[in-house]
Amino acid sequence: MSEITSTPVPSSEPLDLIKLCLDEQIFVKLRGSREMIGKLHAYDSHCNMVLSDAVETIYYVHDSQSGEIKSKTKKSEMVFVRGDSVILVTDAANV
Amino acid sequence: MSASEVNTQLVLPLELIDQCIGSTVWVLMTTSQEFVGTLVGFDDFVNVVLSDVSEYDGDKNIVSKRSKMLLSSRSLAMLVPGGQGPV
Amino acid sequence: MSKSASSTAAATTTSSTSNFLSEITNSQVIVKLTNGLEYVGILSSIDGYMNVVLENSKEIVNSTEIRTYSEVFLRGNNVLYISQD
Repeated sequence: MSEITSTPVPSSEPLDLIKLCLDEQIFVKLRGSREMIGKLHAYDSHCNMVLSDAVETIYYVHDSQSGEIKSKTKKSEMVFVRGDSVILVTDAANV
Repeated sequence: MSASEVNTQLVLPLELIDQCIGSTVWVLMTTSQEFVGTLVGFDDFVNVVLSDVSEYDGDKNIVSKRSKMLLSSRSLAMLVPGGQGPV
Repeated sequence: MSKSASSTAAATTTSSTSNFLSEITNSQVIVKLTNGLEYVGILSSIDGYMNVVLENSKEIVNSTEIRTYSEVFLRGNNVLYISQD
């Protein structure tokens, strides 16, 4: 309906980049100061994704006075990431 | 009230925006951000294309100037025709 | 503006957002996200959701470069604006 959706179909669309990352290690930046690295098994148009051997890094303010930032990590053998929390996706080798 | 009577008075919202093309508009977002620029065009979602844009932060300071941009309608709240920016 | 003039203007302007996008594809752009992060890079593709792929992009927070990505996908819902650099 809107023109922006009927933009002349580009030879490659943005989601093709994620397609190229299938079975590769990817880096995902998520809402809530979280980042995740893992092997991409599946994704859909919402950017819902399934990652294996994922390491999630969560950043948080350790000391609100000094603003010192710390991080902790969580490991998951297999994890589903809901698309609405995704900010950025890239091949982990690209970071 | 007949339809023809109404039509002489009625200005549709998108018609108003259409009439602003080529002139300065002040764009207020749902956040405290604001933009002032020349309206180049817009689409059905009211994503807007602006030229010679000043971007203001919540404290009404100019944070950047851009020659041309596509501003997403996602958090767009209000378009003020001829607006000179935050006062 | 006459009724007919405004409707022809509308006809030419309905595509102005996609015109702008085709104009800036493959050129240097700045993408600002709603969370304040900025990405400067070459716009290689974009779709109707404003999902974006940038090449050779820099991630900028408060005017300081914090990371670079040779190729990166940005999910459209986070995009505030896309600007010519």
